[in-house]
Amino acid sequence: MTTIVGLKCVDSVVLASDSRASKGGMIGSKGVKKIYLIDETKAVAIAGQLSDANYLINLVKAEAKLMEFNRGFPLTVKEVAKLLSNMLYSGMRSYAPFITEMLVAGVDDSGPQLFEADISGAVTDENFTSSGSGSPMAYGVLESTYRAALTPEEGVEIASKAVKSAIERDPGSGNGVQILVITPKGAEWHNMGGA
Amino acid sequence: MMISGNSPYDRPYAMYTPDGRLLQVEYASEAVKYGSPVVAVRGKDFAIMVARTKDTDPLLDPIEKIHMVDENIGAAGAGFTGDINLLVDQARVEAQRHRLVFEDPIDVKSVVNHLGQFMYSFTRYGGVRPLGAALIVVGSDRIGKHLYQLDPRGLILSGKALAIGKNSEDAIQLLKAEYKQDMPRKEALDLAIRALSKAEDGESPIEVGVALGKTFKKMSLEEAKRTIM
Repeated sequence: MTTIVGLKCVDSVVLASDSRASKGGMIGSKGVKKIYLIDETKAVAIAGQLSDANYLINLVKAEAKLMEFNRGFPLTVKEVAKLLSNMLYSGMRSYAPFITEMLVAGVDDSGPQLFEADISGAVTDENFTSSGSGSPMAYGVLESTYRAALTPEEGVEIASKAVKSAIERDPGSGNGVQILVITPKGAEWHNMGGA
Repeated sequence: MMISGNSPYDRPYAMYTPDGRLLQVEYASEAVKYGSPVVAVRGKDFAIMVARTKDTDPLLDPIEKIHMVDENIGAAGAGFTGDINLLVDQARVEAQRHRLVFEDPIDVKSVVNHLGQFMYSFTRYGGVRPLGAALIVVGSDRIGKHLYQLDPRGLILSGKALAIGKNSEDAIQLLKAEYKQDMPRKEALDLAIRALSKAEDGESPIEVGVALGKTFKKMSLEEAKRTIM
């Protein structure tokens, strides 16, 4: 279930999600958080098993902080994505996979970055991407409207439209859109509301 | 330093004297002073290290002094060759471990921290011998060019100009007197060579390690003079 979307803009990245947690055929929660900050300029959007995703994010947050203390400068977005993917891969290989897919986004020394890590630990570098049960609908919007050199404002508009389209047609997604815009200065939340 | 003749404190490896010293560790530091010297100098956008290869015998190949750790990092030691090799091997494994996890080269400080902890561990356990080696690590990473120095205690120092090994005090004296902020590369190389010659004169060829751009490269003095222009 879920719809999450990520897209690269000029000097920034936008992550968006719906807010619905599904419990079988029921709506388990109407206001669930699916985008998590790793630090001031990095975040992860999650789809799949919430508990698995939370566990991985907590581990990566701790590891990222420890590494930053030890070496004196923060992890790159790619390094965060690799840490996550290594755990996803070892999960798959030990027949106890983490049932989750993640969009890792952020801004570092080499500019805006967006990666997708799946249940098998595969990492891909993307300009825009979507995951979750609503992703086919979101992709419809992204494929027709995404272009290079979007401003963050335009990015927010496209991301929000993509998630809203999914909410309209995917029963696994709903209850409002949450958006995070990450720039070199930090991350800013936009709550698009709705139930 | 004073070598205590019949002191019982210099035998167990990890035991303090009543005045709070670890004699085995101090002895290990003495061993470093017999090693042939290494000098390193850092500038604005580069770092270099110089050392003389040891020519042991005309029939033998000279023993290399500067070792590659990864594409972006090099190291040279003073002290017991076996101990230096062990440290270099540790550094290489740590560098590759980082590449396996992150698919990116390791930063210099992480290598040095690892080596520092490794060396320090030999001062805390019985039944082991503190490594009789000091190491200079030079490299390049995302945040700049770096010089680090490690000693048998596991102490990590970083700086603009460093020297270890035999007569390193003489080399340091010259470095202190003549080091200038943001030195041009050619001047820095020249200073490093002169500092090295202060500590040790010899005929054997000088090796140069150069951290420039994203890489660390090992080369002859002639090649270095051409490369760093």
